[in-house]
Amino acid sequence: MSAIPQSTGGTASAPRRAAPEARDLVLRFSGSGAEYFRIWIVNICLSLLTLGIFSAWAKVRKKRYFYSHTTLDGTPFQYLGQPIPILKGRIVATIVFGAWYLGTHYFHKLLPIVAILLIALAPWVLVRSAAFNARYSAYRNMTFEFKGTYWSAAKVLYGWGLLALLTLGIGFSWWQQRIKQYMVTRTSYGGVNAEFAATGGQFFRIYALSGLIFGGVMVGLVVVLGIFVGARVRSPEDLESLSSMIIVFTVLVYVVYAIAFAYIQTRIGNLVWNSTQLGPIKFQSSLRAPDLIWLYVTNALAILISAGLLIPWAVVRMHKYRAEHLTLSLDGFLEYFEGNPASNVQAAGAEVGEFFDFDMSI
Amino acid sequence: MSAALNTLTGKFFDGRSPVAAPATLIWSGSMVKVIGATIAKDYPTSALKVSPRIGNAERFVALPDGAQLQCKHHPLLDRLPQEGKTEGLVAWLEQRWQVALLAVVIVFGGLGAGYFWGLPAAAERIAAEVPIEYERQLGDYAINWLDENEFFKASELNEETRAVIASGFATLIRGLPMQAHYRLEFRDAPGLGPNALALPGGMIIVTDQMVNLSKSPEEVLAVLAHEIGHIERRHALRHILHDSVTATVAATLTSDASSLTLAVSGMPVLLAQMKYSREFETEADDYGFALLQRNGISPEHFATLMERLATQRPERTAGASSFLSTHPVTAQRVARARQAADRLWIDSTPPSAAE
Repeated sequence: MSAIPQSTGGTASAPRRAAPEARDLVLRFSGSGAEYFRIWIVNICLSLLTLGIFSAWAKVRKKRYFYSHTTLDGTPFQYLGQPIPILKGRIVATIVFGAWYLGTHYFHKLLPIVAILLIALAPWVLVRSAAFNARYSAYRNMTFEFKGTYWSAAKVLYGWGLLALLTLGIGFSWWQQRIKQYMVTRTSYGGVNAEFAATGGQFFRIYALSGLIFGGVMVGLVVVLGIFVGARVRSPEDLESLSSMIIVFTVLVYVVYAIAFAYIQTRIGNLVWNSTQLGPIKFQSSLRAPDLIWLYVTNALAILISAGLLIPWAVVRMHKYRAEHLTLSLDGFLEYFEGNPASNVQAAGAEVGEFFDFDMSI
Repeated sequence: MSAALNTLTGKFFDGRSPVAAPATLIWSGSMVKVIGATIAKDYPTSALKVSPRIGNAERFVALPDGAQLQCKHHPLLDRLPQEGKTEGLVAWLEQRWQVALLAVVIVFGGLGAGYFWGLPAAAERIAAEVPIEYERQLGDYAINWLDENEFFKASELNEETRAVIASGFATLIRGLPMQAHYRLEFRDAPGLGPNALALPGGMIIVTDQMVNLSKSPEEVLAVLAHEIGHIERRHALRHILHDSVTATVAATLTSDASSLTLAVSGMPVLLAQMKYSREFETEADDYGFALLQRNGISPEHFATLMERLATQRPERTAGASSFLSTHPVTAQRVARARQAADRLWIDSTPPSAAE
């Protein structure tokens, strides 16, 4: 096998035979906002004209766009998912969401039934959706694979979830770590299972620190508001001015929430990627919280001002940022990964339409 | 046919190894030949499957033995058998700015038409088909919840006051389509203040505070006529239909920007809810004015009560201001009530002749 020249298309690297030095595999997203805008609006239009049925086909188009325009070491990813399983997933999701909506808003007797159904189905949905997305994601004519069972997923979701509840939330970090570990280590490519090295303690440090800082900021905000109210409100008429203050306060809370959200996203995202290894491939994620906050805020403003027309631009921008801040390094040969008859793209395409093929991820 | 159109180059993947080999595909009608460092093989053209075009991305040619050729877009690819039948057409549409522009017009036009006309009209039609009995459970649940959580206490009004209002109410609902489903309830609600509510299924609740604020039974009946309007026009069910459809549509359209949904999809839903709520209030006002007039009561009573309610407002708390936010501005409602009083009084039977 090592006699095959290791040509990798886009980046013309010289053939290597001896143990190579680790080299970076560049991850690049080459989509453009203008191009994606046309795809986005045409697919929304068709979904609207077909009363939502086309949305499953639209999802395939969008997934294809982002996969095909993401290249690793000059070679694009390929999305193989088919619309029918996605349509099935959407129909189930709509029914469940509708029942949940009616249960929480109108028919409270329905709520326990829906809740029990959701709890019973969640591990199944998690496993099936992960398997679907892995099976129908390909790179270099080899698909990914996710091996999970209902019980193993239920154990992680509810066993460790119960622990988080019993420890009054302290165990939350360990629960999150177990879920990520489960998702990562059950995923494989070319016969190689991914490994995951992050510990619950590392998760805990991130959650605890952000909890302390943002809890402190919130307490500070409430105190300031309290002082302000105490100083200003002397008579019932002053209550009118209070309502404008409540609006300012709400905006501040939202800003603090957005900052906390971005901070946790970056720190956890970096931790998960940097603790993951796929055979000879290591990941280096360098997301920065200020960057993400800037992206979130400017994207939200752009979308609001443009009445939604800038959604494609915002999504492409976010993808570019994420791709630019994830580096892969290969310490060894790509031949480490070996395909089998079941993992090639053709095989994945042939089994489409299986009853339990099902995707409910967004 | 020129040689360039029959030939394309790309990267060959055998499916067993992730390593790429440069390869060339040569098309000769019924057969194609793939030649590269690790391959030299002929395939029948009809067994090939080409992935649809998407943006500027590379395309994938699936070969019958599980191997694959990846290459940049090339006109030859569109002449080979395609993976999906319809996707090519969608891809063609996606490449054109004129189509995108038309799509923008259709999407915004469609959403606008649905928002201003389609959804309200559809909800009204559906509500007319659904018997009000189905709402009953919802209304019972609401009143039990309000009672149990002590928003409501037993009414402290005297029998006589209640009897006068109840008999006026019975006159108001006589002959209405929902007549059999009405129930009038009195409750003491110190927290809620002067208020009246129409619950799903036909129950109308008026608070002691509202009755005490009024200077005559006619004023209370003016408010009850407005609540009867909510029941007769099936506002509870239409509300459910409006809310669920706007929430679903907003969530679907903004699913791409899901990390921002709170700001992005929440806002239009909130605005739509407020618009529809205000419209229902206006509709219930109009219904109430006409109903009062038919029973020989001037809508002027509604105007005076609303004005008195407004002067009380600063003394009341958050519950009241949120109640008012979904309602049209008081001054406008008062003006419309007076207009109705002037207009309707002319062609109506005088009060003494009613009943």
